[in-house]
Amino acid sequence: MNKPEKPQPPAAPEIERIQTAQAAWTQQLHAPHIAARGEWKTFTTQAMHWPVKALYTPVDLAATGFDYLRDVGFPGEFPYTRGISPNGNRATLWTMAQVTGFGRGEEWSKRARYMLDQGLQGLILEHDLPTTNGYDSDNPLIAGEVGRAGMALDSLEDLEHAFDLPFDKLKYLMSVCNAPQPVNLAMIIAALEKKGVDPGQFVLHIVNGILIEYTCVGRYIYPPAHGLRIATDCFEYIVRHHPNWQPISIIAAQLQPARANPVQEIAFSTTIALAYLDAMLARGFDVDTIAPYFHYVINVDMDFFEGICKLRAFRKVWARLMKERYGASRPEAMKLRYMSSPSTTSLTLQQPLNNIGRLAIMATACALGGAGETMTTPLHDEAHALPADEAIRVGAAIQHIVAHETGVADTVDPLAGSYYVETLTRHMEDEAMVEIDRIIAMGGALKAIENGYFQRALGHEQYARNRALETGERKLVGVNHLVLAEEKKEIEIWRLDDDMEDRQVRKVRELKARRDNAAVAHALEQVREAARSGANLVPACLAAVKVYATHGELCDAMRDVFGVHHPDSQTSGV
Amino acid sequence: MPQRPIRVLLAKLGLDTHTVGVTVIAHALRDAGMEVIFTGLKQTPEMVANTAIQEDVDVVGVSSLSAGHMRNLPRLAKLLQEKGGGDKLLVAGGVIPEQDAPAIRAAGYAHIFTMGADTREIITFIQDWHARQETTAP
Repeated sequence: MNKPEKPQPPAAPEIERIQTAQAAWTQQLHAPHIAARGEWKTFTTQAMHWPVKALYTPVDLAATGFDYLRDVGFPGEFPYTRGISPNGNRATLWTMAQVTGFGRGEEWSKRARYMLDQGLQGLILEHDLPTTNGYDSDNPLIAGEVGRAGMALDSLEDLEHAFDLPFDKLKYLMSVCNAPQPVNLAMIIAALEKKGVDPGQFVLHIVNGILIEYTCVGRYIYPPAHGLRIATDCFEYIVRHHPNWQPISIIAAQLQPARANPVQEIAFSTTIALAYLDAMLARGFDVDTIAPYFHYVINVDMDFFEGICKLRAFRKVWARLMKERYGASRPEAMKLRYMSSPSTTSLTLQQPLNNIGRLAIMATACALGGAGETMTTPLHDEAHALPADEAIRVGAAIQHIVAHETGVADTVDPLAGSYYVETLTRHMEDEAMVEIDRIIAMGGALKAIENGYFQRALGHEQYARNRALETGERKLVGVNHLVLAEEKKEIEIWRLDDDMEDRQVRKVRELKARRDNAAVAHALEQVREAARSGANLVPACLAAVKVYATHGELCDAMRDVFGVHHPDSQTSGV
Repeated sequence: MPQRPIRVLLAKLGLDTHTVGVTVIAHALRDAGMEVIFTGLKQTPEMVANTAIQEDVDVVGVSSLSAGHMRNLPRLAKLLQEKGGGDKLLVAGGVIPEQDAPAIRAAGYAHIFTMGADTREIITFIQDWHARQETTAP
């Protein structure tokens, strides 16, 4: 006779069984090992300085209140932790781009033609410092800088020459000229008109990112509130007149090299986006129309898991802000669109070949965290000289190696469910939300810029990160670890081509003598009037550039009304 | 009598807007007990020389990461001397190619700290100079 089976007590929930087992493991194995062998350093994440435990298990995830459907979900669905595409990189790989220093002056057109002949459809138009800071080439203040960091743009005439391009091949142009954005936008629109380009068959992408310039890059002209108004004018003009164009990029990748840690990077850049969004909403637009226009550029630095978890948390934070705080209902309004890039912050001047290894690791992290629509790779020897062909080839090859040889992009968000990755992603999201609330409570990004909060926070991080290198707490190979004693540290600086500068100065002076100066004076007064009245600045700038008012004159007209930005130590964070 | 702390003016000239280096130096010098004044960006040599005189600083440090150093740095040194600030310690830092260094030093810069210089080295350099001034003061 079979004895009836003894009724079993109900099994403890799995998490309790793991907890019990883990406690036993800690006591019997792990703690004695540490007692006997010690640990060779204090383990923290690199930028956040968060403690890193020896082991992550389901217990850690449970402690965060982890809920798969709420916290992670499915690709292509809110909260987009696993990416905004339902099929990851399996329909198409990310676009592999290379942003390289792009020549100067008249050379731009020649180089652009060459790149279009190589099958590229998109180009980036970078300007020199006089242009991005709102000066003409003949301004004595800026002698020596003309055409150095990009194309000198003094008048419509310069763009008419530069746009001597096959526009049947060129489909996308990104322009970076933040502080004088309405002038730059007007010049490009006027030049496209002159070339007979159909604006519906072409995408102009303006970065229009003045607020980040105040926090770290420094190419500002007017006080921040006027900067925001100018950016909003350009945003609005594009949405109304060229809705297929791209009116804004949030370059978080400028905050990261200024040493923003991942939480700051997410919080500062999203609240900066919210400042532009709020300004557009105040002009009568709705969030479902405007939010899809936002585009980000995001760097990944050397801490592999911080980088991966930052991308995952970033997508989730943006989706939550749009849905929960702004009431967006269209999925397109909640999806974080971005270009990813390995950071140059950890690339070293010393032993430059080591940077190829670093770039490969960071590009792998980008792919694992979600490369976005596009990935770009910096060059491993950027610090030494102008980009060499070899460095450009290696930079491109790194992305192909990651995409085709490693398999990391074959399945969607492959690290999801990792106890460590999910714990860190969640922690980053929580901390970013706390920081976002703090910034909103102080009045938002504009106030945080005006009172110097962002700038001081970045200054502290810059100092702390430098100390970590000087004390050896952070090891950087070639800098404070495995240093080669005899290494030559010569840096090549691009030497001025004085002829080029003289030619550009002559060109703008001749223009000023030749054009209808009464019409220019009238047009500049209209720009001042628009600046005073609050009317959109773009139409007034458009009228002025067409009578060949110069870039510097237009920026001066706005200086007359807005004044200029002069931060002190407190508000510059130095 | 309590000594007044060493006063340092940190300056950026022209359109060079790279501020990470100068920010790190400012924090390090303050941590070492010095008073640090930052000029802000987009300064001319004239503006920096005037600030140095008005603020009665002991040290002027110029951060330069653009190609404008050969134009701006000697001019600042000359203006300082003309305005009676020739007794100040003048140093430069940033990206200054080796072939330009002799001309910068000849213009009156006591030292050029290249990129990656240790902040402790910079602090010591300033403190040693200051100590020498104290002992040689009348």
